[in-house]
Amino acid sequence: MNKSSKVLVVDDFSTMRKVIRNLLKQLGYENIVEAGDGVMALELLRSQKIDFIIADWNMPNMNGLELLKEVRADAALSRTPFLMVTAESLRDNVIEAVRAGVDNYVVKPFTADVLSEKIAEIEKKYG
Amino acid sequence: MEQDRIEGLMDVIASTFVMLNGNEIDIPTAGKLLNAMEEVVGEARVRNMEALAGAARELVALLESIVLERIDPGEGASRFAEGLSSLQAMAHNFIEGEEAAMRGGNVSVQIPAAGEGERLPKEEAGGEGEDDMSRGMRTGADDSDDDAPPFIVQDESLLRDFITESLEYISEIEINILDLEQNPQDKECVNAVFRPFHSIKGVSSFLDLKDIRDTAHELETLLDRVRSGELTMTSGIIDIILEGADMLKLMIGSLQEVLEGTRRRPMAPDMSELREKIDRLEEEGVPPIDEKPVKKLGTILVEDGVITEDILEDALKRPEAKGGKIGQRLIAEGKATPKQVMGALRKQSKQVMETSTVRVDVKKLDDFVDMIGELVITQTMIRQNLLRQKVSDRKLMSDLAQLSSITSELQRTSTSLRMVPIRQTFQRMARLVRDLAKSVGKDVVVMMEGEDTEIDRNMVEEIYNPLVHMVRNSIDHGLETKEERRAKGKPEKGTVRLSAYHKGGNIVIEISDDGRGLNREKILQRARERGLVGESENLSEQEIYKLIFMPGFSTAEKVTDVSGRGVGMDVVKKAVEKLRGKIELRSTEGEGTTFAAFFPLTMAIIDGMTVRVGKEKYIVPATAIRRLLRPGRENYTNVASKGEMLNVMGELLPLVRLYEIFSVEPAYREPWESLVVVIDAGGRSKCVLVDEVLEKGEVVIKSLGGNFQALKGISGGAILGDGNVGLILDPEGLFELAEGQA
Repeated sequence: MNKSSKVLVVDDFSTMRKVIRNLLKQLGYENIVEAGDGVMALELLRSQKIDFIIADWNMPNMNGLELLKEVRADAALSRTPFLMVTAESLRDNVIEAVRAGVDNYVVKPFTADVLSEKIAEIEKKYG
Repeated sequence: MEQDRIEGLMDVIASTFVMLNGNEIDIPTAGKLLNAMEEVVGEARVRNMEALAGAARELVALLESIVLERIDPGEGASRFAEGLSSLQAMAHNFIEGEEAAMRGGNVSVQIPAAGEGERLPKEEAGGEGEDDMSRGMRTGADDSDDDAPPFIVQDESLLRDFITESLEYISEIEINILDLEQNPQDKECVNAVFRPFHSIKGVSSFLDLKDIRDTAHELETLLDRVRSGELTMTSGIIDIILEGADMLKLMIGSLQEVLEGTRRRPMAPDMSELREKIDRLEEEGVPPIDEKPVKKLGTILVEDGVITEDILEDALKRPEAKGGKIGQRLIAEGKATPKQVMGALRKQSKQVMETSTVRVDVKKLDDFVDMIGELVITQTMIRQNLLRQKVSDRKLMSDLAQLSSITSELQRTSTSLRMVPIRQTFQRMARLVRDLAKSVGKDVVVMMEGEDTEIDRNMVEEIYNPLVHMVRNSIDHGLETKEERRAKGKPEKGTVRLSAYHKGGNIVIEISDDGRGLNREKILQRARERGLVGESENLSEQEIYKLIFMPGFSTAEKVTDVSGRGVGMDVVKKAVEKLRGKIELRSTEGEGTTFAAFFPLTMAIIDGMTVRVGKEKYIVPATAIRRLLRPGRENYTNVASKGEMLNVMGELLPLVRLYEIFSVEPAYREPWESLVVVIDAGGRSKCVLVDEVLEKGEVVIKSLGGNFQALKGISGGAILGDGNVGLILDPEGLFELAEGQA
């Protein structure tokens, strides 16, 4: 994973997607695609090569956890780094995502620093 | 070999951990470890290795603390290493069958306080959110807490997007909340309302809109507590959410003005009232909207005789009880075996299944009930046809009897489908009582009885307004002020009691207060002043009470000094009668007043009397019928000023010739030849002339299409047993028609 990797930002709130997109740009990522929910995200994932997923937890139709499970269950996608965005600090939720194989999570509201730290960890891991 | 499973899992765990090479435990590794460790817990439980399960559980908790950053990652890793080696030794010993040796053994893992227990105590979970907020603020780009510098728009296009999208989301909340009110238990409904607040909160913190973020956070937390089951959705909560949504709308709207330069800073309304309301919610413990509550696990265990109530109480009392699961604690303490707890859990989930529901479109349901109504009628028609044709085939008749019992059962069931408990209506009123009482500075407790009493869903909305009116009356005028109550030696807190019960095909809703009661003398005096009662007329107690329902009894003028009653009660009576209901009143001076409203259980069926005039058949609603009589010639008088009157037990009542009003050819024209139904409506009584009374009973209402809907004096149609159509009389409208003719 590097700065030219394609990042998929999944959030039902378009302003939030814009916020994350801006933060990613600050970090040097240029290649960014967006989806409004898990279903749209899966369509994108299956139609093009995506290197990194940042998804919100709470979305209609298919939420972030369901998306994560779909991704991990799909042989072609299962190794895609996945960062979960959540404001639900109730621990049960995060633990559930961790068990489902999330690479890291970030709690809203986060700053560019926090996001870049999490992304750096993932970058390091996936080289 | 069975035992190998745990050993195998332990190997996986150990090798996963070793792979870290002394580094901190990262999230994906933690995930793998958690999954494997949870399997160890499960496996150990199944095999009754409670100590091993307990130790593994502690490691699960440790891992969770690491994931949630509640513990320093380096320290976490070393504690995990320690715990893991004790666990391995323990598992080994267990598997060797050296159970006895194990009892002394203990895994020495120290887990930070927040990670202890099965689950976080909810209070702490709530506090957690706060922590995250402040953490967000600390690391936030701008954390200045200055007094009033203008708000600096950092990213105008982002802000514009935010305004548009948020306002859209808020209007969605307003729509979804209606759904939520109907289905308070539906997780998806809660979620649909939760999500927008959550998103608004997220973005507003990036945009440094602290007040918006805080408001959204407050509402999100409230909803989260509902979602997690800590709070039960009530109308009170829904009101708070709507209020909060309004606040957000104002604040976000004000951003627009900031953008346009007409405002220095976004609006920051006072949140304290909203918070206060949320706090109050807890204190008052508004009864939940939910239907049958699921029995607590502990209760099931006591019922099953597994534990005694003392043990349960003791277990619940201890401080850790708040967070932990009762079943797990009882097992850990050896008070119950896992098998017993599982059994109880299964019973509990069966209960949940029993209360599970299917959501159906009301329109479909209405159509369904309607069709069954038709079926019943058709069935009756066939039967009557056969009788008329004197068919006496025994097989046919017995089959028909069978069909008739099935259809009537079907009708009963279909009607019950639309029945809902009156609880929700009561809760809305309870809230109203509190609000009203507060606004007039009175202290009131609301008591409810019979909230499970069922009523047709379609009636719920209809009865709400008249009930509100009555409640308002009780609070406004029925109850005394605190000072008055104290002076009379009554408790300062007044009581308003809402009760509901079924009585003879009606649902009766009573609203009682323990206030000052009605003062008969004053009511009578006022009625005389208004010319409603003659100076010399003597009225019974009930008759006097009825006066307050008369139009013109009260005016806009304040009536509190008269009797404490009367504000627009004629309106209430009218509304109740429109629903084919009636209203009764009981009162003891100084002790209180009770309004009893009788409503039909459903608008689909009417209990009435079928009467005949010439060839036409009419149905008189049973609630409006006072009596039936066959007058003598001497009872009839024709007073020039008042028109035709009949003397009914010493009371002169106007005579209404139904055949004249509806222009039909009657069999009899003279009152002493025909029959008279005395009908009450709108505070007056009239004698209605009919040829014959055919039957009394329930008829299925068919709404009249098109032009007939506006027909005065007729509220609908019904298909009668013989297949003919009967018209349902609307007494109030009928009276107005009669008065217009006179």
